[in-house]
Amino acid sequence: MNEKPASLWQRLFGDSVRAFGVISVVFLLSIAIAPAKNFFSEWRHYQRGYLKTIRNRSDANTLQRHFAGGIQQVWLPELGVVDRCTSCHVGLKEAGLSDVPTQPYRTHPPIPHKLDQFGCTTCHRGQGAATTVAESHRSTLAWEQPILPAKYIESSCGQCHRGQLAGTPQLNQGRALLARQGCLHCHTVKLPDGSTLKATDDPPSLSHIADKTSREWIFAWLKDPQAYASTSTMPNFKLSDDDARDISAFLIANSSPLPGDTVNVPAKASADPAAGASLYGESFCASCHAVQNAAGNIVGGDVGPELTRVGTKVKPEWLQAWLRNPRAYNPATGMPHYRFNDGQVAMLAGFLQGKADSDFLSNVHLDTATPEQVAHGKRLVSDYGCASCHEIAGIRKPENFAPELSRIGSKPVTQLIFLSGMQHTLPDYIAGKIKNPRAFSPGLKMPQYTFTPQQIDALTTALLSLNERSYTLPSSLAVPGRVETDYQPAGKAGKLMTDLACFSCHRINGHGSDMAPDLTWEGSSVQRDWLVQFFKNPGTLRPALIRRMPRFNLTDGEVNELADYIMTVYQSPKVDRDSMPLGGYSQGQIELGRQLFYGKYSCQGCHIVDTKTDKGYIGPTLTHVGSRLTAAWIYEWMRNPQSLRPGTVEPNRAMNDEDARALTAFLISQKGGEKSSRSSKAANSNSHAREVAKR
Amino acid sequence: MAKTVDQYFDDLQQTRLWRSIFRSGPGSSTLKRALVIQQNVFLHLFSTKVRTRVLSFSATWYLGTLTLGTFLILVATGIPLMLYYHPSAPQAYADTKDLQFVVSSGMFLRNLHRWSAHAMVFLVFAHMFKVFYRGAYRPPREFNWVIGVILLLITLLLSYTGYLLPWDQLAYWAITVGSNIASAVPVIGDKIHFLLLGGHTVNANALLRFYVLHCMILPLTAMFFVAIHFWRIRKDGGLYNHDSEPATVRARNAGSAVKETN
Amino acid sequence: MADLKDFVAGVDSNAKKSPRRIVFITRRTSAQVKAETEEQLQTFPEVLFRAAVAVMTLGVVLVWTALLFNAPLEGLADPSHTPNPAKAPWYFLGLQEMLHYFPPVVAGVLAPGLVVMALIVIPYFRVNIEADGLFLKDRQKRLRIFYLVAGALSLFLLFFKVYAALVPTLIMAMLMLIAAQSTPHSASPFRRYLAARPLSYWVMTWFLFELVVLTAIGTFFRGPGWAWVWPWQGS
Repeated sequence: MNEKPASLWQRLFGDSVRAFGVISVVFLLSIAIAPAKNFFSEWRHYQRGYLKTIRNRSDANTLQRHFAGGIQQVWLPELGVVDRCTSCHVGLKEAGLSDVPTQPYRTHPPIPHKLDQFGCTTCHRGQGAATTVAESHRSTLAWEQPILPAKYIESSCGQCHRGQLAGTPQLNQGRALLARQGCLHCHTVKLPDGSTLKATDDPPSLSHIADKTSREWIFAWLKDPQAYASTSTMPNFKLSDDDARDISAFLIANSSPLPGDTVNVPAKASADPAAGASLYGESFCASCHAVQNAAGNIVGGDVGPELTRVGTKVKPEWLQAWLRNPRAYNPATGMPHYRFNDGQVAMLAGFLQGKADSDFLSNVHLDTATPEQVAHGKRLVSDYGCASCHEIAGIRKPENFAPELSRIGSKPVTQLIFLSGMQHTLPDYIAGKIKNPRAFSPGLKMPQYTFTPQQIDALTTALLSLNERSYTLPSSLAVPGRVETDYQPAGKAGKLMTDLACFSCHRINGHGSDMAPDLTWEGSSVQRDWLVQFFKNPGTLRPALIRRMPRFNLTDGEVNELADYIMTVYQSPKVDRDSMPLGGYSQGQIELGRQLFYGKYSCQGCHIVDTKTDKGYIGPTLTHVGSRLTAAWIYEWMRNPQSLRPGTVEPNRAMNDEDARALTAFLISQKGGEKSSRSSKAANSNSHAREVAKR
Repeated sequence: MAKTVDQYFDDLQQTRLWRSIFRSGPGSSTLKRALVIQQNVFLHLFSTKVRTRVLSFSATWYLGTLTLGTFLILVATGIPLMLYYHPSAPQAYADTKDLQFVVSSGMFLRNLHRWSAHAMVFLVFAHMFKVFYRGAYRPPREFNWVIGVILLLITLLLSYTGYLLPWDQLAYWAITVGSNIASAVPVIGDKIHFLLLGGHTVNANALLRFYVLHCMILPLTAMFFVAIHFWRIRKDGGLYNHDSEPATVRARNAGSAVKETN
Repeated sequence: MADLKDFVAGVDSNAKKSPRRIVFITRRTSAQVKAETEEQLQTFPEVLFRAAVAVMTLGVVLVWTALLFNAPLEGLADPSHTPNPAKAPWYFLGLQEMLHYFPPVVAGVLAPGLVVMALIVIPYFRVNIEADGLFLKDRQKRLRIFYLVAGALSLFLLFFKVYAALVPTLIMAMLMLIAAQSTPHSASPFRRYLAARPLSYWVMTWFLFELVVLTAIGTFFRGPGWAWVWPWQGS
């Protein structure tokens, strides 16, 4: 029967029944691989790893009890979140696992939000639905947004929080830079609520520039703005010598003289430089203007332009006219109209004129401009979009000059063109573009900025927060930023306040700056007599501060006008100024107040009433508070400080009426009777004092 | 004595239950084997005997059989896939993602369905060309050829409608490109385009429409024509073999007759 | 008994030429038919088992493909972001490639419509049934028609700059010319083979050739803007 031994092939496939049997087995085995593959999936591997990790811990029982096997997910339909991250990152919610060195088993660092309410991808990006390491963390064909690098994580806070946030310094800085560095002049940024981000810088008009400076200076400035002032926000357009020559020619030729913006300078302009320096200091110019000191440090504020080399820039006759009344040259300037007398103007002008750098213009030699050069310059000015920032007579501000950035934070990577050697991710692209825009194409118009790497990260963070998700989030989650109103005070006092540029430092009714206290309810809080005295001599309040209210040399009429207006208009509905008297409290009540101050409430921990004994430097000194604040304001402040000044550090002690009245009586009695040198002790550090800038 | 497996099987076939279902009793005579085919509602489409020669691999490459095989795989994988799928935008995409990430072996099901679909389109084309080059479209099989062409079109439509269902970029734009071709038909092009998509662009209506076509209308139509296709093989004289065709035989015989008369 | 060899059961579609005569009875006997007897197999179990083996072999191949290669899935459908290029499924890429050259009416409607019509009518033309060598009869006349058609088609393709379709057309025309110069008695077996090819063979092969070439180009050689790219250039 078995003449020759059948070959293996014969035995397996010799006839159709055998072949059928064999192939059936192979087929069934092949099909069985799929469930097996399922069993060895990554998330099961990580869960097994987790159980192994916690087995020998002291809190193993608790962790074991909390552990639920299988795929875990956070499903939030209204956020569009299906996050299965917790299938592998098992220990995110286990506070005890903070000692695990790395993910996936480490506890999530503390955050103000709950994982179950926001999921993971809302902040971290990545593909939440995925259950493999590669698919969930990296960019794939099916999911472009990879995990957001940790250094940009604050951008995710910015999706909902549109305003400043205490915990996100990088985001805040990036947003400030975005507004301050001129980005918003060319790039439109619309927020999901329909508002448009506004630039906070104020590039000068160039329509009368010939009155102010020379063509040589314009040329040198255009070539390298940071060589003139390292803090300048003007970017470098990398212009060729010819282009800079032609633009300077055009700007000078295009400039028209403005009556009153120059004055004849007396032959002997420069007075005593030391006196000029002291006037510069007394006028608190440094609150807004910075100067580079001998050590190379920039000292001073960043509201106005840096003045290190201002003498090289401005013409003397213009400078004097400007110091006399800046509004003659630029009605919208943020510079207050100091009422300097001629001698003061000459002194200050002489001091500033001395801040010159002869090297800056030493290599600039320009021939007289030809009409062709002027025409070419005009074309360049249009091409580079100079009018996006600067007002230039005869050139319209271009519309949509640069791409809108409202959703730049979720721009598809497929639509980007990367440099070679660059990581193909959106953050890297944005950072690269900010760092060196022209590297992407020599023909690009975007200029070169001089940002530090840290500033670039901050800007990238701010831009990444402008993304699609911020548009699709439920509007109830959005925390709007502070809305800048266009409040303008009315009447004569209003004109005066504009002239003095109050809003360059103060904020009233949602308009203005944060450098100095908000004055919206000033009329309720202070006594008129104090206010009048303060206008005449602002040095009395917080004398140790570097940034301080300057003296504007106001006339009595102007002071009365302002005081009347403030006392009448800026009143809080919560405080009736006249409901409580400024004096006449019983000695017993005052004594009770003193006991409460030092005993029950221990106010001396932060405030100073008696300069000999009290050591509190957190809050303002209260030695003179009785002659400054109204009793009604103090009382209301005792009851609920946050209602008067949201966000103040003054704790709400939930005081009863009796205590509040006693404390008010005690404080209103602090009229600062004995003159002493306590004021010098009143504040210590600058930063401290800024924080304390609340009455 | 221990019974062999065959004996157990014979016993089983003799039970009343077996006979009530399959009618044929035990035994493996030619008659019994023929009855297996004849008395089965599905198998009776085929003839009870097939010429050995046409069963050789080179004759057909088994392309028709394999096409049927892919169709069966597609039905078998398609039904479980339907259990996890909502034909609504954008849920369809999320469901596809869930198939990939959380459904047990969901990825495998989808892969198998997709690759089988591609294989089926390829096999249908291959089957058509093989039939053509063998000349098997000749009478009396001409109508079966026509049914074959119809089945080709149905296969393409099945694959095309299924292409949209994942609702991803690939699907969306492939269908957009494809459906725009319909607009090119003179006069009624836009109407056809609208009818196909249930709108002027590929949208949720198109998805639903394609879903119904893909899971209901087209498979049923395909089964209907496949049944006729197989039944006609038997009615048209079995699988085509050029050498067994009467005309060929007659010509061959005529040739030999001439030789004999000489 | 008459020689059974004379009687062959059969069906001839051309009733005019050979009247349908099934049997011819010479004596008082029952009709006997001589049919070609050929070895046959029972469908059950032989054929079914073979079919099952074939299907399961394919099944194993597909299962392993499904295990090893994931089906493509891209991002969520987004009408506002058009991928470049937007490609149809592979089996329509030949069509899409044609759309690149011709107006949509021609490439998208006329051409596929004609192809389907042509496929349907194949078995209804005598010339396809007889399937004689194309140039064996009426050689001169058919050659003239061939030159005319091939020339017109080439010029048409040249006019629309469809070089991708022109090259296969020219190759096919060359083969047909070789066929025209060959007879069933040619020395080389290849030429004998070509000489015996019928018209339908040439048309179908040309169609298959074009289909494969255009589909391959559409699949592998087309990049952004439907511009020519090499497959290894990537994107």
